[in-house]
Amino acid sequence: MKKQLGFYVDAKRCIGCFACAMACKNQYHQASGVVWREVYPLKEEIYPHHERAFYSLSCNHCEHAACMEVCPASAYTKRERDGVVVHHQEKCIGCANCVRSCPYGAPRFNPVTERAEKCSLCWQRLDAGLEPACVKSCPTNALRLIDLATFNEPNALQFPPGYPRMPRLNPSTRFRQAELPKIIKPEDME
Amino acid sequence: MSKITKQEIERILENPVSRRCFLGGLLATGALAVLPGCRLLRPGTADMGQVWEGGYQTFRNACSRNCYDTCSIVSYVKNGVLKFVEGAPESSFTAGGLCVKGNSYVRRVYSPDRIKYPMEQQGRGTGKWKRLSWDEAMDKIARKILEIKARDGSLLGLALSKYSGSFGITHYGVEGMMSSLGYTTRLVGTPCWPAGMDAQNFDMGNMLCNDPEDLPLARYVIVWGANPAWCSVHSMKFLYAAQEAGAKLVVVDPVFTQTAAKADEYVQVRTGEDGALALGMCRHILDRGLYDKEWVAAHSIGFDEFAAYLREHVTIEWAAQKSGVPALHIAAMAEEFAQARPATIWVGYGMQRHVNGGASVRILDALVAMTGNVGKPGGGARYAQMQTWGFTYHAKNQKQPGGSKGWIGASGPQGEFDFSGVKGDVKYADRSININKTAQEILDTKDPQVRMLWVACKNVLSQDFDRPKMLKAFNKLEMVVVADQFFNQTVEQADIVLPVTTFFEEWNVNVSYWHYWLSLNEQAVKPLHEAKSDIEIAAALSKHMNELAPGSCTFPTTVDTKDWMAQEFNQKELDMFGISSWEELRKGPVKAKLTSSAPWSDGVFATPSKKYEFHSDLCAKNGHDALVMYKEGRPAYDKLRLLTPHSKFAINSQFQNLDWMADFNSEPYVYIHPRTAALRGIGHGDAVRVFNKVGEVRLAARLTADVPPDTLLMYEGWFKGLAFNCQNLVDDAPSDMGSFKTGAPGVAIHDQFADVVRA
Repeated sequence: MKKQLGFYVDAKRCIGCFACAMACKNQYHQASGVVWREVYPLKEEIYPHHERAFYSLSCNHCEHAACMEVCPASAYTKRERDGVVVHHQEKCIGCANCVRSCPYGAPRFNPVTERAEKCSLCWQRLDAGLEPACVKSCPTNALRLIDLATFNEPNALQFPPGYPRMPRLNPSTRFRQAELPKIIKPEDME
Repeated sequence: MSKITKQEIERILENPVSRRCFLGGLLATGALAVLPGCRLLRPGTADMGQVWEGGYQTFRNACSRNCYDTCSIVSYVKNGVLKFVEGAPESSFTAGGLCVKGNSYVRRVYSPDRIKYPMEQQGRGTGKWKRLSWDEAMDKIARKILEIKARDGSLLGLALSKYSGSFGITHYGVEGMMSSLGYTTRLVGTPCWPAGMDAQNFDMGNMLCNDPEDLPLARYVIVWGANPAWCSVHSMKFLYAAQEAGAKLVVVDPVFTQTAAKADEYVQVRTGEDGALALGMCRHILDRGLYDKEWVAAHSIGFDEFAAYLREHVTIEWAAQKSGVPALHIAAMAEEFAQARPATIWVGYGMQRHVNGGASVRILDALVAMTGNVGKPGGGARYAQMQTWGFTYHAKNQKQPGGSKGWIGASGPQGEFDFSGVKGDVKYADRSININKTAQEILDTKDPQVRMLWVACKNVLSQDFDRPKMLKAFNKLEMVVVADQFFNQTVEQADIVLPVTTFFEEWNVNVSYWHYWLSLNEQAVKPLHEAKSDIEIAAALSKHMNELAPGSCTFPTTVDTKDWMAQEFNQKELDMFGISSWEELRKGPVKAKLTSSAPWSDGVFATPSKKYEFHSDLCAKNGHDALVMYKEGRPAYDKLRLLTPHSKFAINSQFQNLDWMADFNSEPYVYIHPRTAALRGIGHGDAVRVFNKVGEVRLAARLTADVPPDTLLMYEGWFKGLAFNCQNLVDDAPSDMGSFKTGAPGVAIHDQFADVVRA
């Protein structure tokens, strides 16, 4: 398999601290209201406690990226060397087809430039031998950079509950699910 | 521009993004996709958009917030502009990553909301601000100080409220500035941790804690009333390492916190009954003979008396009834704790913010001690430490002008960071009043009354208790001067505001009260706008004081923040960290050279008996029970308990006001158990009014069984443009302990009660 970089989202270790999401703003200074990475709390049907388990998500750098397919301006390319899906804002015409088409909400519309933008997987940092800003900032090593060509974690999931199942796109993110502690509660507080 | 919440934008955009609704279940906070055609956009900001481009100049910085983690930072600068920040890789504690707050620092420095110049308000609360030059501002302030001195014959009418807004060591120059003017009135004490601090001092003779980096050695860890997943994110990796090495991680808390979700076991305790639960464990350990008889015999006093107390007054059934934790589980937990070696308790600050908080910490200490876990790597009753804080306090220790008159009589400690050593009988002293009753003290203090208040490193009207009373107290003040970075709720009630530098704009040095790293803080960028550091403000004031009245202020009239940082080092501090000069810190933070990761490893304590004291005469002398024992909690004064702990998006009133933070957390909520909400007809998202004898707060409700049915929970914080303030619901009832080490008892922040209705 060719090199394909992606994120490993370890929801067992993730504490939903938003360090990753803010590290992205720290590196890229997106316009107010625009974020490339979000930390999504899981529905209580999936994890039975309000805002206590999360998926930190940005672009999934899919094998068959919807954004690339629908872009009329060829503003998206997929890097041969590592599979990173790159948005070239200078080519973007602001039609927002990608914003509407990505099932994961990765491309965002920047109201100031009136163009789309999204997670670049910090390719400039990667090319300089550095980790992506979000991965570097994670205090629990819950967000990691993986190469699917060598990634060998048999229990990792591609489509855990709550994450849209889009096998045709073949997103490059992999997951470990959150776990529950044993809970001891007073009888009257059940 | 009116404030638009994410929820409003989502609602407006519901149709355009309807194709994304399958993500909706996942997206409780929602994807904020602003699509073309939408006019409800926030204005663009300067310096928007950048990518990593290399070629940066780097500087060493240190986060000076009141936080366990006190991160070592590397800042990346280009053309004199701070571009981004990272955690320093050299510190095995910070380990390269910052928290959500630390990662927002660039926005804090360049926020358009920063206070840019000295300004004067044309009537407090009016928002009519007029720009002043530094000379004009200092002249007005200096004249007022001299007028007070002429009127009262002393400067006791000038009071200082300063606490933990910045722990950069030269910021104690604010206290130094007050001393350099004369004897003044000081708001002393701390709202934070003093009950537990006194408790540990009575038990062991000092407050010392194991290096958090030795947590992986523990075989059993109880995080008791602390939430490191939010308040010490860098400690989590050590807790995980302990779990991975086979330790059991237990969280005891009234709330199912984020840390609880990561534990092996979560034990929900009734708020304020931590002591009862721990006493039940102690009794069971005693009955089963699982305590460390050799250690107790060799290194403690009062254990027999404690054992007799347990046999006479404590059963696990009683503990179960008090704490809500089933007796069988108390027994199991006690056995597991006693048999794991080493076992440790992280004693949280939350569990001591009660009228029985100090007593409860003494019980937790006793549980750790009787099982032989004090003084063991991987063990310990971990609360906090201040042994790395041995600086010179050059900025702080300024001399009063000759002939100054002040308070007559004995003077106690002025807070936990008072290392001056000036105590006991002196001819004149500063007048100490209780910071935790700031409003009442300003209202009550006479001869002379408090006429003028200087506020620095503190947000009185966001963080101090009984806010309605505080507004009344402010009405009594003739002048309020606030040095700050943002137009916060205290600045709203100020006469003169002075712009203060962020730590990127000044030199400083920082240590933590939890880990053992020392970090240099270099000036990375020039001060923005007209901001000055706290000591530069003191120098500017001194210049004007001396022009108007020569000899009226001893503070130097010029300071260099780098030189003053350097003067904070002494040989003992350098030796503790194994460095020969502060310059070595330019290569990165360094860790204290500890003989053991565990304090008290030699079994010799700093108590009067040199032993661990289950019975402390010093404790009795300070007005408490000599023996470790149960103390009743505060009787409820309203229908539900109210908790107002820390948010993960803020440290006290800092950070939540930034627009970057609002991108992830835009409004406050009150969290209510679904059953409790149903009884009041309250649904998820409803607007509600929370009220009690102190005041009321209006906000939206979120329903969750993360909180117990008898509890309302809202996170403290200052949201830009919102009136929200949880101190409208928190009174100034004191905790039991705190006066011994900090000069005033703590506050029973979590012994508050309220009710809620639909608004």
